[in-house]
This record gives sequence, structure tokens and C-alpha cells, in this order.
Amino acid sequence: MKKYMKMIVFVIVLGTITSGVFVGMEAWTGPLIQANAANEIKSTILDANGISYTTGNINEVFEENITIQTIDGFEFFIDNTSGSISFEFEGGGVWGPIEGIITLQRDKETIRSIRVLQQEETPGLGGVVATVKYLNQFEGIKMVPALEINIPDANANKPNEVDTITGATRTSKAFEEMLNVSYSARLNALAKIGG
Amino acid sequence: MKWIRLKYTKWYNILKNGIAHNNPIVVAVLGICSALAVSNKVENAIAMGLGVTFVVMASSSVVSLIRNFIPPKVRMVTYMVIISTFVIAVQMFLAAYFPAINKALGAYVGLIITNCIVMGRAEAFAVKNPVRYSLLDGFASGMGYTFVLVVVSLVREVLAFGTIWNIQVLPTTFPNWVVMTLAPGGFFVVGIFIWIIREWIHYYEV
Repeated sequence: MKKYMKMIVFVIVLGTITSGVFVGMEAWTGPLIQANAANEIKSTILDANGISYTTGNINEVFEENITIQTIDGFEFFIDNTSGSISFEFEGGGVWGPIEGIITLQRDKETIRSIRVLQQEETPGLGGVVATVKYLNQFEGIKMVPALEINIPDANANKPNEVDTITGATRTSKAFEEMLNVSYSARLNALAKIGG
Repeated sequence: MKWIRLKYTKWYNILKNGIAHNNPIVVAVLGICSALAVSNKVENAIAMGLGVTFVVMASSSVVSLIRNFIPPKVRMVTYMVIISTFVIAVQMFLAAYFPAINKALGAYVGLIITNCIVMGRAEAFAVKNPVRYSLLDGFASGMGYTFVLVVVSLVREVLAFGTIWNIQVLPTTFPNWVVMTLAPGGFFVVGIFIWIIREWIHYYEV
């Protein structure tokens, strides 16, 4: 009986200490993590529009150059100078959610930039989806009639086509679907911007 | 003379066992899942290796510190809770103060929790030895793991991408071996590496 009591006490103490560690860590790091996430979105949008900033003045530069509009429940970030439109997209990858920001040119159908902010794909394979080198391929690609991510083929280079990631066809296809779904869901709202 | 004396110290033997004679991947065949997943690029291998080294050192130290209080029936759960707490706390700290590093490590930090080496060293060594030796054992095992990962990733990255640390070393006309980016490629290279090393150190399973 004493043996079991000792075990129960140990488990309770261990659980209390580890829970305490997590609560303390959450209180300590939570606000900073949220601020970092907000700054990451702002810096991604500013980078996509070629606007320079420093970590010290990012909030001022963002407010000065970017207008936030919410239309039909969707949030858009519009560059005051170029008219480029950014919005957040998300969807399911192979192992977990993929989140990022897509920036369209003023014509609302040509991709200016795509950046992935969060993904849990296989490192070195599906994880390539978050690399700048891969994402740079999307620049100038059309979202209409629909974005296509296909296995590389020398004979097929359509204006709406990008190559798959080698060894990660499922991640590529999931990425294609989430971009198309996010875009088509916002089509009506996009039409209301700037006129 | 000093060298001979060093060979009989516990410190030296713990280090030697972790890195060579009891190498977690080559001899103990632990941590194979993560080794296959992240050994397709040198940078991935180093990031994962350092992450595992830190966590195995920290968790082994804590397990060793409280080893006299851990009831035998719940020891495995205790190791798991300690390891998970460490990994999650480190992840939160990195996300708050070093977001760039946290982003670069990405999924690796989470993968460390599932690495058998961390639990294996807690059960096989830390729970029976004092903190200073457990810390050293954690370092040696982590380095042994990192060493194998880096060697395997050197072979895989060259054949899969023609690069080392993302620097092109083979002509761009070299046909990339896609299989080397995938888990089967990892199986081939890790298998051949284990065979070579076991022959070298005369380690045979009967």
C-alpha cells in the first residue's frame, strides 16, 4: 500500500511540476510568441511588396504603406503604392497544416509572391515547400483558370503551371489545392477591391 | 604513459562507447526513423544531431538527479514526461527569443521527443549513474548519432542533389538520384554504413 502511495504522490508531484513549468513558460513566452507571429506576417507582406524596414520601425512602415480591408469576412492587405493584394492562406499538408501568405499583382490573378510561414512536412522532402528557392518559381504564374503543380515536363510550361517538389508529389498536390481553394473562396471579395 | 592511463578512466570509456563501440545507430540500432527522415541533407543532419544531443544531455541529467525517487513501475512514463517537457520548453523559448532558429529547426524539435536514443540512454544509463557521467553519456550518444547522420547525409545529398551543404559539387548535368531523397535511399545508405562499421569494429550479433 505504501509503495502505491509513493507512486501516486510521485506522479502527482511530477505532473504538478511539469504543468507549472508549462504555465510559467506560457506566461513568459506567450506574448512574445504572439508578437513575433504578428511581425512575421507584417514582414512577409512588406518583403513581398519590396518595402524596406527595420525590426524597430516595422509597425510604423506597415501602417504607412499597407491598408487592411475586410470584405465578406476575408482580410486583405493592400499595398498603397502598387495596389498588390496579399492574403493569408491555409490548408492541410501531408503531415499537418500549411499556412502562408500569397501576394497578387494589381490584376488580382498574377502571383507576385508566395511565402509559407508554417508547415510540418517531411524535412528535406515536403519541407521544401517552405523554401524561397521553390516558392520563387510561383512569381508571375497565373491563378486562372486554376493553378497547376505538375511533374516537370519540358513540353508543358503553361502560364498557370509550376513544377512539383521532387519526392514530394503529395505535398505539392496538397499545396496546389489549398492555394486554389483559398483563391476561389475569395474571388467575389477580390472583385470588390479597388472598385 | 598518460594516454594509457586515460584509456582506463570512466570518462574516456563513456565517450568511446557513445561515439563508437556502442553507437546508438550503428550498434544499438536506435533513432533509425529520424535518421532516415533527416539524413538527406547535411544541414538537416547537423540541426537534428545538435538538437538530439542537447535534449539527451538535459533529460539524462534530470533523470539521473531524481533517479532515487522514481518508482520503478512509472519510470518509462517519467522519462517521457521529462523529455517532452524539455523539448516543448525549449521550443517555446526558441519561438519567443530566437524565432529565426526556431523556424529553421521546424519539425525537427518535435521529432526529438520520439527519438528512441533519448529514452534509451535514460533507461540504460542515467537512471543508474550520477549526474556528471549521465551528462557525458548524453553528449557521447548525441555525438555518435550526429556523426552517423552527417556521414550518411554527405552520401545522400551528393547523389540526390549533387550538392554538399547546398553548394554544387557535381556537374549540373549529373542525373539526380531521386531515390536518395526518399526513405528507401536512406535505408540503403544507413544499411551499408552499419555493415561497414560493424565489420570494422568486429561487432557481430549471434
